[in-house]
Amino acid sequence: MSDVLTVNKLKAYYIMNYFGTKREVRAVDNVSLTIRKNEIYGIAGESSSGKTSLIKVFAAAMRPPFEIVDGDIKFDFGDVKIDPYAEDKSKVDALRWSHFSYIMQGSMSVLNPVRKIGKTFEDFALKPMGVSKAAFKPLVIEHLEKLKLSPDILNSYPHELSGGMRQRVTIALATVCRPKFIIADEPTTALDVVVQKEVLSMIRGIQQEMGSSVVFVTHDMSVHANITDRIGIFYAGRLVEEGPTKLMFEQPKHPYTYHLVSSIPRIGDTQRRTSLEGKPPSLATPPNGCRFHPRCPIATDKCSQENPELIDIGQGRRVACFHSDKVKPLAEAIQ
Amino acid sequence: MINYLLFAAKRFLQLIAVVFSGVSVAFFVSHLSPIDPVEAAIRRSTRNSNVNPEAVEKMRETLTALYGVDVPMWQQFTNFWSKVVVGDFGPSLLSFPTPTMDLVLRALPWTVGLLLVTILVTWCIGNFLGAFAGYFQDNKYLKTFGLVTMSIQPIPYYIVAFLTLMLLAFIWPILPLGGGYAIGLVQEWSWVFVLSVMKHAILPILSLIMVGLGLWFLGMRALVSNIISEDYVVFAELAGVSKPKIVISYVMRNALVPQLTALAMAIGGIFSGTVITEQVFSYPGLGSLLVRAVNSGDYTLVLAVSSVAVAAVAVAIFIVDLLHPLLDPRIKVE
Repeated sequence: MSDVLTVNKLKAYYIMNYFGTKREVRAVDNVSLTIRKNEIYGIAGESSSGKTSLIKVFAAAMRPPFEIVDGDIKFDFGDVKIDPYAEDKSKVDALRWSHFSYIMQGSMSVLNPVRKIGKTFEDFALKPMGVSKAAFKPLVIEHLEKLKLSPDILNSYPHELSGGMRQRVTIALATVCRPKFIIADEPTTALDVVVQKEVLSMIRGIQQEMGSSVVFVTHDMSVHANITDRIGIFYAGRLVEEGPTKLMFEQPKHPYTYHLVSSIPRIGDTQRRTSLEGKPPSLATPPNGCRFHPRCPIATDKCSQENPELIDIGQGRRVACFHSDKVKPLAEAIQ
Repeated sequence: MINYLLFAAKRFLQLIAVVFSGVSVAFFVSHLSPIDPVEAAIRRSTRNSNVNPEAVEKMRETLTALYGVDVPMWQQFTNFWSKVVVGDFGPSLLSFPTPTMDLVLRALPWTVGLLLVTILVTWCIGNFLGAFAGYFQDNKYLKTFGLVTMSIQPIPYYIVAFLTLMLLAFIWPILPLGGGYAIGLVQEWSWVFVLSVMKHAILPILSLIMVGLGLWFLGMRALVSNIISEDYVVFAELAGVSKPKIVISYVMRNALVPQLTALAMAIGGIFSGTVITEQVFSYPGLGSLLVRAVNSGDYTLVLAVSSVAVAAVAVAIFIVDLLHPLLDPRIKVE
């Protein structure tokens, strides 16, 4: 089997109960997907579409009131197979960093301000790597050099580094143990485009060298176009379309993907960009039927009553829309 | 390193300025008071007898010269400082002619010992337990401890002090009622004396700890419950870093800086608190000495005690300040 992660009909909600009033926020609703070995899988969608919630489930970082309501999730790292929520917590903790790691959002605040970078590396990676302290340091330095970081930073404190350096340190921390599965949550959002490009090519380089799988979350579609092999588009807690990145950009099949992709400015294109009306629905009281129908220009009565299933449409693509044949290929729309 | 020494030197100059102005204020406050020390002394000695007015006049002249109040204020001030820099605060008026410095030096070790032990114990244990209570919020032992300290905290200190005294020295008399050591013992480095001192110190220290511990415990717990949601703590947890390491190196270490600042600010208050402690437990420290001096109008002694107190508190804060850059690398030493 070549799938590192299999998610089946996963439902994970924030369930709050204050003074008898129960409130459910359906952040991840009925999501099924697989992450293959040696690929970069992009997760796209606007703010509060459930992207971060989904990867919190992946990273076994769920905290009350966020809990799994239904469905299952399985990791297959080759040597270990694990369902992170069925097994004992300490077993999952033992796999952290050695088998899967997490690049957290907001590189400015993820490093301990009163601890030297070198010490942080020891805290995070010494045990999972299973080497002696003497053997550990050269390995770290070698890894830092791949990310164009000088070994001197091991003796610095986080506040002495620039934003781009801190981001690279965070990436180095998450990749130094060569895990099979890396979750990256908006790792480039806070960076300017020049540093962003550098960081992206480094992530790509490291991923190819180690043959790991990366789940890459960002709302920036141009970053997805640059780095991912496949993309899953999320809208209001649901996966609405999935497929190889190139096809998704050329021929989006879901009207929401279409609008996402067509919003990217292209050289030579002078067409005015229009935005979708309305705003993303509240996940506590989502609309009936297709959750996109109140904002969808091609919605019909059926869309407001029935929920479209995610169906396979060939070429490795899946889409959840009754009218996917009416969505024009993008090239046509531009002309 | 050079930077740090420069910082320490600069901070030391500040310390001297603070002590100078503090002692000067104490000087002016006592000298501008309407009580004339000469008249007070004459009243004391002629209270119960008929004294020849000429003799009184002679006495007034002698005392005025002796106390050095026959010259203008600014000259008194310079005279005072020229003596103080060599450690001479003049004779005590009440226990004339014992130098006040002797009385102060006799009382100082008792107070310093009391304070040092209490501050170290309350600050270290309070912060340590507070950090764990903030991190492991569901632990029932730490929860109970929090409840207990929170219910002791609002009780005024003197009531806690009297309660411990009544319970452990009167109703269940296992500890001495007061004093610094058993009556009749000679002050020397012998086991009997040291044990007696320790036994007598238990109650005052216990009462101070009971009230002080909660302050640091509750403060630290509140600080930590904020820090545990910081990104760097969550990130370390996601990386599977061991819990004790997270609590000590990630959580506690970041909370120590504000707690150290709080300590520097609290030292002055803690010092004034011992005045009550020493009164309640009739402990032979600076606080008891000060109260006695004020009650009997011995104003050179009041001045000496307050000057030493100013210097001691300033030095304590100076030490805490020197620790700051060592704890937080973001505090730039330039």
